Amino acid sequence: MTKPFAIAPVRKTLVVNVPQSHAFEVFTSRLDSWWPKGHGIGKTPVKQSFIEPHKGGRWYTTHEDGSAVTVGHMLTWEPPHRIVFSWEIGADWKPDPTVASEVEITFVAESAHTTRVQLEHRNFEALGEVGGERMRGSVDGGWPGLLELYKKKAEALG
Amino acid sequence: MAYGTSFAALADPTRRSVMESLRSGPRAVGEIARGMPVSRPAVSQHLKVLKEAGLVTDRAEGTRRVYYLDPKGLAALRSWLDQFWNQALADFQREAEKSFEGEKSK
Repeated sequence: MTKPFAIAPVRKTLVVNVPQSHAFEVFTSRLDSWWPKGHGIGKTPVKQSFIEPHKGGRWYTTHEDGSAVTVGHMLTWEPPHRIVFSWEIGADWKPDPTVASEVEITFVAESAHTTRVQLEHRNFEALGEVGGERMRGSVDGGWPGLLELYKKKAEALG
Repeated sequence: MAYGTSFAALADPTRRSVMESLRSGPRAVGEIARGMPVSRPAVSQHLKVLKEAGLVTDRAEGTRRVYYLDPKGLAALRSWLDQFWNQALADFQREAEKSFEGEKSK
């Protein structure tokens, strides 16, 4: 009778013919060298993409009009094995810090020079949950409640 | 179902709240409106948009009409992200392997 509001995570696996440390470094520190320029969420095309290499660090893009857009924050930072970051993009594909699905990237050394990279993008239900929290937040007086939730989540995941 | 319609429908925070209120099961317009800071006609209008986007659907239950979530709409959003990551990871793989070859030969 009750339909659960659940969406299966997006999962991807690929094997890259490079050592684990190189795979991790290219994914994070050298994000700008590969992140598709058309995959931006700002008003103008992406100029550069960055990941700040530490827990709490931002994933952000700079744009041709001089603006910067935060895509998410590093919730887990375990080089060269794993990162988990929030994906603060609304269903309308616009940045929205109150919406956070979550992406985990795992780098597994299959051999000295091959790495299995696994991606899981999950918690799409957050789009709905946050709608609810936002409504409650506006009754409770707004942001402090939401930020507290975010902090709790961030700490629990850390 | 075009993902663009779902995205546009979910861009509105009130509509996301409507979606949220349907998580626990089918509800009538009045029940949805009760928990929301907007009028019942406004909720009806939002439900209409969500229905057109394929995110909710409705059925008659006795004398009233109840609305419930249609998982197909959100599945469209998910499949769009699925393609999004395919392209991003393909680009990542190409760059990782190319740069590694480049550095090895230095």
